[in-house]
This record gives sequence, structure tokens and C-alpha cells, in this order.
Amino acid sequence: MMMLSTQWLWLLAAAPGQVGSGRIVGGWGYVWACYGITVAMLVLYAVSLWARRPKAPTDAKE
Amino acid sequence: MGKFIKWGLPALALAVLAAGWWLGLAWAPPDREMGDVQRIMYVHVPLQWVAMVAMAINFVVAIGYLMKASWKLDATAEASAEIGLVLGTAGMITGAIWGRPTWGVYWSWDPRLTSQAIMLVTYTGYLVLRRFVEDPEKRATWSAVVAIIGAINLPIVWFSVRWWRSLHQVQSTPKTVDPEMTLALRVSAFGMLFLTIWFLVQRYRQALAERQAEVALPDALPSDLAAAGGANSSRVA
Repeated sequence: MMMLSTQWLWLLAAAPGQVGSGRIVGGWGYVWACYGITVAMLVLYAVSLWARRPKAPTDAKE
Repeated sequence: MGKFIKWGLPALALAVLAAGWWLGLAWAPPDREMGDVQRIMYVHVPLQWVAMVAMAINFVVAIGYLMKASWKLDATAEASAEIGLVLGTAGMITGAIWGRPTWGVYWSWDPRLTSQAIMLVTYTGYLVLRRFVEDPEKRATWSAVVAIIGAINLPIVWFSVRWWRSLHQVQSTPKTVDPEMTLALRVSAFGMLFLTIWFLVQRYRQALAERQAEVALPDALPSDLAAAGGANSSRVA
């Protein structure tokens, strides 16, 4: 019991130093996924704008 | 000016955006806690910023339309809502992907994410409304009212991280991040802004051409309006 209490006290004392000390390693797959999806959406939207562009009247030159 | 908007502006936008993303991906340091995953910021945050700008434009021109009816304002409202929705959706998707390695989940019903979802649903409804109403004048007026009501949510989305306990972090400032991160974020944001302006101009021209075609062709109007005078029945400038 005494051992357990000592361990808890040690953990409590160490906790403030541990908060925020971890660091995510890797994760480039998430990064590329975000950039890839964004580029795909921007390209698709640009293509949709091009497809919906106002057409010049066919008799404009007449 | 026309050539610059057609070719110069998109070229400038892509160049600045590419530079900003390069700075963010290769030059700026990784975050102290999130590591390289934090580099998602250079795409996620500019998307959200410009989406909010587009929706703010939608709000302003909606008020303008109700004060002085104009097809130009209505076309701007349609363009800004559509672009805000596209960019906001991309922002939400990138945010969800960022959430997975940092929060452990793609989605959480926390104040920021929930208010953002409501915002996207609102602007989807706005665009659906515009599709369903045939009379251009009624469409413009009703959608302006919806735009003003929907805009109530914009400050809620922005300040939600400050008003409530949110899983989403509070907005960073240049004082709280590395200067190299600030530069990469600013360059990316300007690139995204230039691209948004180009999108707005293109979509505005389309919307205005559609309005003018609708008003010019009596067949395109509801039968009661067409019978009352067709092209000349519109009271909108």
C-alpha cells in the first residue's frame, strides 16, 4: 500500500513536466492527403468554372 | 485589366500559393508537439480564412441587394456563396484529417466543428434555394434574406474556440508561433486569396450572364411575369 502511494506521488510530481512534452512522429501521409485533396478540389472547381463559362452568342459576329 | 484577370491573376495566385506551400512543407520548422503534421496548417487555415471572407462578402452583398436591388449584387452573392462552400468544405476535410493524428478522431461534435458544419449546411441550403426558385427577383430577395440569417453563424464559428471549451485550439498569433511559420502561413493565405478572387470574378461573370439571359428571355420567367411584360417587367437594375 505504501509502495503504491509513493508511486502515485511520484507520478503527480512528474506530471506537470510531462504535459506537452510528447511529440507526434511521422504523419506525412496525413499532410500529403490534405494537400492532395485540396489541389484536387481546386482543380475540379476550376474545371467546373471553365465548363460553365458564358458562351458567346453565335450571331455575335454577324 | 481583362488580360490580367484572365491569365495574370491565376498565374500569380498559383505562384504565390506554391511558394507558400513550399515554405510550409520544406522551410518552416516542425511544430514542437505536432511535429510535421502541423504543416497541414498551411493549407487548412488559408482555406478557412478565404471561405469566411467569401461568406462575409455574401452577407454584405445580400444586405446591399435588399437596400438597392441589382443583378450585379445578386450575381456576386451567388458566386461568393458557392466559392465559400467549396473552400469551406475543403477546409473542413483538411481539418478532419488533421484531427486524426492530433486528437485521435476525424470528427468530434465540439463547438467549432459543429458550428462549421452548420455553416456549410446553411450555404448548401442557400444554393439549393437558388436552384428551386424560378423567378429571378424572388430568388434574389429570398436568398438575400437566407444569406443574412446564415451569416449570424459566421462570428459563432470564428469565436467558438474562445467562447466555449473546444477541442479545437484557439487562433494562433504571430506572437505565439515561430516567425518562419508566420511567413509561410501569410504567403499561403495570400496565394489562396488571389485564387479565390479569380474564382469569384469568373463565377460572378457566369452568374451575371445567367441573370441577364433570364431577364432578357420572357420564356425563362414565370408565366405571370412574362404575360405582364416579360423582359421589361424586371424592377432590378
